[in-house]
Amino acid sequence: MINDIRVGALIAYCSVKRGNKKTLIFIVFVLSLIFMNLVFLPSMIGGLSGLFTGFMQDYPYGDIVIEPTGDNTYINNADNVLKKVRAVEGVRAGTKRLDVGASINHKQKVVGVTITGMLPTEEYEISRYPYIISEGDFLSDLSRDEIIIGAMIAGTGFGSEIYDNLGEVRPGAFVDVTYSNGVKRTYKVKGIMEGKFEVVDLNALVHYKEIEDVYGLEGKEATSVVVRVDRQGTEAQIQDKIREAGVNEQIFTWADKSESLIRQAMQSMGAIDTMSKIVSLIVGAALVLIIIYINVLNRKKEIGILKAVGITPRSIVLSYAFLSTFYVSLGISAGLILYLSLMFYFQANPVTFYETLEIRPAIDPVLLVQSVVTMLTLSVIAGILPAWSVSRESILKAIWGR
Amino acid sequence: MIIVKDLKRCYGTGDTAVRALKGVSFEINKGEFVAIMGASGSGKTTLLRILALLDDATDGEYTIRGLKVSSLPEAERSYYRLTQVGYIFQDYALISEMSAAENVYLLSMMEGKSKKESYRTALEALEKVGLKGKHDRVPDELSGGEKQRVAIARAIAKRPDILFADEPCANLDTTNSKQVLDVFKELNERYGQTIVMVTHEPWHTDYVDRVITFKDGSLLSDDKKMKVKE
Ligand SMILES: Nc1ncnc2c1ncn2[C@@H]1O[C@H](COP(=O)(O)OP(=O)(O)OP(=O)(O)O)[C@@H](O)[C@H]1O
Ligand SMILES: [Mg+2]
Repeated sequence: MINDIRVGALIAYCSVKRGNKKTLIFIVFVLSLIFMNLVFLPSMIGGLSGLFTGFMQDYPYGDIVIEPTGDNTYINNADNVLKKVRAVEGVRAGTKRLDVGASINHKQKVVGVTITGMLPTEEYEISRYPYIISEGDFLSDLSRDEIIIGAMIAGTGFGSEIYDNLGEVRPGAFVDVTYSNGVKRTYKVKGIMEGKFEVVDLNALVHYKEIEDVYGLEGKEATSVVVRVDRQGTEAQIQDKIREAGVNEQIFTWADKSESLIRQAMQSMGAIDTMSKIVSLIVGAALVLIIIYINVLNRKKEIGILKAVGITPRSIVLSYAFLSTFYVSLGISAGLILYLSLMFYFQANPVTFYETLEIRPAIDPVLLVQSVVTMLTLSVIAGILPAWSVSRESILKAIWGR
Repeated sequence: MIIVKDLKRCYGTGDTAVRALKGVSFEINKGEFVAIMGASGSGKTTLLRILALLDDATDGEYTIRGLKVSSLPEAERSYYRLTQVGYIFQDYALISEMSAAENVYLLSMMEGKSKKESYRTALEALEKVGLKGKHDRVPDELSGGEKQRVAIARAIAKRPDILFADEPCANLDTTNSKQVLDVFKELNERYGQTIVMVTHEPWHTDYVDRVITFKDGSLLSDDKKMKVKE
């Protein structure tokens, strides 16, 4: 066997060393494209889902979100829950929020929104709301009769063409809000927020006390308690700890939440992704198969000669295994370089959707390793097959064709 | 050394069957240089391929040094091809991507010799056929005669019991043919190499000890010339 390997390696080495360099470059180039194709789309999709989950964390859910159980509208003792949560080790911050439905009216224009009641100073530690005010200012603890409106409904930001909006509302303008329970309030627009994300830019924010007032709550209720942890990755452990601390409401990590939210969207993308992967793998394997097959056909005679002078069929098959491994390794390396350059390019110049949604591809090492291994395995098999079938032919047939 | 008994080879079956060898028997002794002649289609190549274990006889018996090689399994035949018989093709049959030395030492490596030893053996064999200093050239950089001599070097590097050559000079001009035949002669006389060579050219018989002539798949004549030793 060791002799077979040595001889196989020598044959492969000579064939690469003295073989046609242009062909080699072409093969490597095509293989690199196939590899790129294998990893590029998943990276983009990964980037997209990363973007979504990032939004989920930054705005509605934080790292961990606690929601009322069952049919309850509110967490009834939110302050108590918050107290327990804040005592858990690894929790960085927590706050309560009240989400309600409402419609906003400005100069005959009406749009439906979700209004979130929040404690403005606590939000600095929790979400990015305070940091995305494009015009005017964020709420303060004294903000009563003031509202922050999402750019899309204000009619100033991007997306205003798609959605109903209030027609260029600016800070300082007054809007009328009708809450889901019928209560009407007039607010002065304090700021416009622009998170470049529908969930944010189609919403409005007011002070927590405002909602409490409107709905006649007693200072203890919340529709959600949003929690941030010290270290990313510890969400699941802290979720358990919060439960152990005696919080009986529903506790979700951002991953739980985004999973159920994004799952549907991602499922169809995942299907496309899987199909494109399978197709490129098949194309890649077929290409290697064809390359090696043509190579083998061209050298059918040489294979016969090698056998005639006593070279074992196994060395011959091995030489092709080495050859295709070599081609594919070069192809993958070139593909990786190409891929990484593209990744860096797109990370510096993200793809924009809807003009505002910037997608930066995510490099997933597991995906890369997986793709390398799959492509290598498949190609080497595809490379060996033709050599194997020819090396089994009789010497006479291989050399003299009959 | 070689004993062939009633060797038959039939290509195809039924009505279209061609009986290329119709029962051939002869012996070849160690150190003989034999020419096989005969009209085109008389079965020379067929015989040589069977003798070199590249093909199977349909019937009959074939022994080398008392070993009945005709009934060996393929793996052992492959080993036999590697170690005991050398075959020289009409069109040299060199591996075009390998240098002269590589073409030769590939076989030594297959035999399990170290790289260094294989290389030395290869250079030795190339020297024997008069190609000293040309071991780094690939076949494209060699003349026909030189190519055929590389092929001979490849065949003799393993010191085979018998060397078979099927019209080794068919693609060569007279000068190159002479070079090749001289190499054969030298191998035969100096090293006692047994050689069986198929040829069409009557003047080639000047180099050999014995001429076996075929006709229609049967032995027509077998002339042992008196070896003139000076
Ligand atoms: N693979 C084959 N299939 C069928 N018939 C074959 C095959 N090989 C050879 N023959 C036939 O067998 C006979 C002997 O062929 P062979 O090649 O041994 O002749 P040869 O003496 O070497 O002729 P040449 O001098 O032209 O090389 C011929 O009639 C040939 O047509
Ligand atoms: Mg012939």
